[in-house]
Amino acid sequence: MTSSLSTLRSFDRRNFLRGGLAAAALAATGGLAGCATSGTGPAPAASSAAGPTSADNPFGLAANSSTEAVIFKGGYGIDYADFAGKTMQTKQAGSTVKVTPATNIAQTLQPRFVAGNPPDVIDNSGANLIGINTIRDQLADLTDLVDANNYEGQKIAGTLYPGVLAPGTFDGKLVQLNYALTVYALWYSASLFESEGWTVPKTYDEMFELGGKAKAKGKYLLGWGKEAATYYQTMAIASAIKQGGNDVRLALENLKPDAWSMQPVQDVFNGLKKIIDAGYVKKGGAGTQFTAAQAQWSNDQDFLLYPSGSWIENEMKTQTKDGFKMTGAPEPTVSSTSAMPWEALHSTAAEGYVVPAQAKNLAGGKEFLRAMLSKDAATNFAKTTFSSTIVKGLIPEDGFGSTALQSQVKMLDAAAANVFSWNFVDLYGTNTDQLVLWNAFLQGDSDVATLTKGLQSITDKIAKDDSIKKVPVS
Amino acid sequence: MTLVGQGAAPGLGAGPAGPSTPQPPSGGLRKLGSARWRRRNLTFDKISFFGVFLVVPLVLYIAFVVSPFVQAAYFSLTSWSGFSPEIPFVGLKNYVKLFGDDTFMKAVGNSVILALVLPTVTLGLAMFFATLVTVGGSSRGNVRGLAGSSAYRIVSFFPYVIPAIVIGLIWSQIYDPNSGILNGVLTRVGLDQFTSFPWLGEVSTARLAVMFVIVWGLVGFYMVLFIAAIKGIPAELFEAARVDGAGRFRTTVSITIPLVRDNIQTAYVYMGILALDAFVYMAALEPGGGPENTTLVMSQQLFTTAFTKGQFGYACAMGVVLAVITLAYAGLVFAVNRLTGGQNEVAE
Repeated sequence: MTSSLSTLRSFDRRNFLRGGLAAAALAATGGLAGCATSGTGPAPAASSAAGPTSADNPFGLAANSSTEAVIFKGGYGIDYADFAGKTMQTKQAGSTVKVTPATNIAQTLQPRFVAGNPPDVIDNSGANLIGINTIRDQLADLTDLVDANNYEGQKIAGTLYPGVLAPGTFDGKLVQLNYALTVYALWYSASLFESEGWTVPKTYDEMFELGGKAKAKGKYLLGWGKEAATYYQTMAIASAIKQGGNDVRLALENLKPDAWSMQPVQDVFNGLKKIIDAGYVKKGGAGTQFTAAQAQWSNDQDFLLYPSGSWIENEMKTQTKDGFKMTGAPEPTVSSTSAMPWEALHSTAAEGYVVPAQAKNLAGGKEFLRAMLSKDAATNFAKTTFSSTIVKGLIPEDGFGSTALQSQVKMLDAAAANVFSWNFVDLYGTNTDQLVLWNAFLQGDSDVATLTKGLQSITDKIAKDDSIKKVPVS
Repeated sequence: MTLVGQGAAPGLGAGPAGPSTPQPPSGGLRKLGSARWRRRNLTFDKISFFGVFLVVPLVLYIAFVVSPFVQAAYFSLTSWSGFSPEIPFVGLKNYVKLFGDDTFMKAVGNSVILALVLPTVTLGLAMFFATLVTVGGSSRGNVRGLAGSSAYRIVSFFPYVIPAIVIGLIWSQIYDPNSGILNGVLTRVGLDQFTSFPWLGEVSTARLAVMFVIVWGLVGFYMVLFIAAIKGIPAELFEAARVDGAGRFRTTVSITIPLVRDNIQTAYVYMGILALDAFVYMAALEPGGGPENTTLVMSQQLFTTAFTKGQFGYACAMGVVLAVITLAYAGLVFAVNRLTGGQNEVAE
């Protein structure tokens, strides 16, 4: 007995405990451990044995193969993807599609990319998407997809809205198919504007005037939420591009020094500043969660205009006042002598679908996208989510009863070929840094010079960092 | 016991070893003797004890703690994107970049402020409350806490039962400029300057607002910890102090704090680690880093760099810096405790 006691003593309990505390301190620095991988993976598995190709099977999907699709489960849900999966199973009898929902795409799929066994097709969307610049080298070129015929026998490229492939094309390679058409606009309640006899402002001066009228009615002109302050940046960039033309877009996209000091950009900032200084922007946005701020617009009608993408209707579905008649208008220009007409539209496509080059069933991934682009699946998406896909001509006149969807189609028709978009904010992941500047600006805490300087230094930081791959835009 | 303690005749206590040769009580020989004694006694009991209590934890520790650390430290020397099997080695470039990165340096500054302020405030309050509910009661009769102290003890523990993320979400609603209860109350009592006041969106208030939430969430836990420690002090000591005429404040400073010093040190380290991390609270309250990044903390910046910007190598360098700061902080707490007369031992 004495013996074992003395053995215990010789361990020195104090040293044990001291070590234990140090270990706890180390373990608590979880950030460090969080970086570790589960080990780098084996060499990439060769893509599946592809079957013979035919008109009905352009990518050579192997008979009875199974396809794994990981779909971001956000505002659109995943029912539309299940629908597309069933469409594919009907068309390619014997094949199976497994649709898995995920909410944090980057965190969920990171180990699989490292290990070299990613899913066959991924809806790379949501707040935690994988930066496309990070993985684009590992993605399959989807050019053969858009060159193939759809399930109705037409060439897919010919069935799409103009410009929708641009956001997914890098260095001439189409690596991401953005499925949901997004129109950026200034949204308002058509019923409210009608009853007050207001018209939609086409320039920042007109916006300023409308602000005065709104104030007389005890309302604000604009409002914002802290996570979405950069919606105003999106609007400002669109306005500047419409005002100054393509040169503005190219300077921003290519991270040029002094890009934010260009006259059209400055004019827009000054136009906004005037509205902010006049007190036409609802206070408190920097401390308000963005959907709560949006409800102040769609439900309480505290403010009149909200710049956003066309997902707004779906996002606020349960928090929109009855008879609101949500309608979009193109973003304002600085003057009526702008380089592009007011009708020009910032439109792009979101919900980026990618097929990893290392996918086990590469053909299955592409076939799934082909099913998504079929008339049935695309119409189903529009009908169930009130959002248009990139496939044109599938939205009926009544927009399935949605005024937002009606106006979206109307705006696209009016814009015709004057459709533009840009990538640099998403591409280089600068939104988080820019949010800080915009919150301060909208709150009235900073001036145009501070905003410009801040935005430029974010741009310069990326331009100078040679560890970040740049995508030249022309 | 005395014999073993002296080490003069270690074998005497060990039955199976049989009678050992008498040893003169000299230091050198004593060491030799005990070494021989250990070798001779590698029984199954002892080996299985080593196996269960040393080898298994050590293996788990190396597999799940040490090896990720080593990996992360290595990745911090690479420009790994996080999503590809290629891991290009770049040496110390990431660290050079870190120290020139003003956003990250701002985050370091914010984290350090949190690590200095939060433990002091939280533990100060916790000690204050703990004293009140244990020895702060009536100065007649037995030493005891305030009336109804057990109820306070339970109630103040409530916030700790709620997960941190829920606390963050609750308070982000309370702080809401237009529909939050805080501004609702303030404007109701006539303070109109708080109409639509963004507590989490103003440079002057954001940091205080989030620090308040963290203190609110944890003060109850440390209070209970200190109560347990104070209960371990014999009541006679407090009674004696009272007889000598010491008031409540003097009793706390001269009796309570010196006697629970080890608990305070441990609490300080844990609270400091939490403050240096603070990720969950910030993710709920200030996901964007707050106004002018006044509430941006290192862990948030690390997360964005890794997953949004796809720069895992750089993010790992941030992780290494965070770990070094955390260890330095723990070292500092130990050093301060020892310099001010503590024994630099963890509570036993």
